[in-house]
Amino acid sequence: MNDDYLWDKSGEPDPQVQQLEEILGTLRYQHQALEIPSQPIDRRRSYFPILAIAATVAFALVAGGLWLRAQNQKAQRTERATVVVPDKIKEDVPTPQIAQDGATIQKQKDTPAKAPRLNPRNLVAGSVRHVKASPEAGLTTKEREEALEAKGQLMVALRLASEKLNLAQRRTQSSSPPNLIRNQHKVG
Amino acid sequence: MKSLFAFKSRLPVAAMLLVLASALTARAQDPKIQTSTLDHLAAKANQTVDVNIDGRLMQIAAKVFNDQDADEAKIKKLVNGLKGIYVKSFEFDNEGDYSPADVESIRSQLRGPLWSRLVNVTSKKEGIVEVYLMLNGDQVSGLAVLAFEAKELTVVNIVGPVDLQKLSQLEGQFGVPELGIEAPKTKTKN
Repeated sequence: MNDDYLWDKSGEPDPQVQQLEEILGTLRYQHQALEIPSQPIDRRRSYFPILAIAATVAFALVAGGLWLRAQNQKAQRTERATVVVPDKIKEDVPTPQIAQDGATIQKQKDTPAKAPRLNPRNLVAGSVRHVKASPEAGLTTKEREEALEAKGQLMVALRLASEKLNLAQRRTQSSSPPNLIRNQHKVG
Repeated sequence: MKSLFAFKSRLPVAAMLLVLASALTARAQDPKIQTSTLDHLAAKANQTVDVNIDGRLMQIAAKVFNDQDADEAKIKKLVNGLKGIYVKSFEFDNEGDYSPADVESIRSQLRGPLWSRLVNVTSKKEGIVEVYLMLNGDQVSGLAVLAFEAKELTVVNIVGPVDLQKLSQLEGQFGVPELGIEAPKTKTKN
């Protein structure tokens, strides 16, 4: 058998080789001219990481907002909690003016037909002045009640804060070392 | 390429951690102390004072202060600008009704860099009194007073620029009653 056909396509081809040529010929390289498109191809960038970051931040912000809202609602609920004034304060010391004011308001609300019977001697001066003055004109009854309650709480808080600060100050002064300069002799 | 992909895939996690870290940092710098850890003491306490006034309530309360009254005007001026006052005070029948862990839950919040302890008086007989200030530059942005006695535990937290001098002058004035605590006549021995 002559292998020239396999070498340089001269000579007589073998039928099997010819058949293989026909089958594989479809896969032969076909030269085509390079075609440059008139408009640039839209190269798609991967926005996934940026979108993922944005979604994460947005999720965190929404979650934070919801959490803060829940905290505020919880705080508002606790703000309406009662202030338990120690009996010691109620009995031993003059009644806080705010408590008196609150009692006044409550009394007026309970018995609207009757004028509140308040003995001015039982009230501290600030309370009397407060009843007379009406700087909170424009507040509704509910707002005024809320404001008075808040004021009462504020006064209790200020009293405790002031008391503890003074306690700290007194203890600091009492535990400080004696003035050594007093015991020193004059030089010269 | 693989490292680039790994970097990109970790970006969302890093972003979330950054957001969480910033939130935690903001929390740590908050002059408001969390006192909810003491709530369980209310069941044991003989007397309880629990005051929670935030900025909104402070503004509402300010409306009923009488500006014409010199005393009330002073209090109004003192609380003006404050963002909140929170007090928790428990008085117990027996010693040891509150634990050191209760104390530590409050004290641990005051170890941040912005808090500085102004006063610390420890006495075996009279207990511990600590005063902390949160400073932003030269301005006071928060105050915490802790008083731990044998049968009493008090935490006062004021948020905002508070004038300590004016606050300490309030006791017994302006209709703010004194509790009758006498100054110790003898020197405190620790």
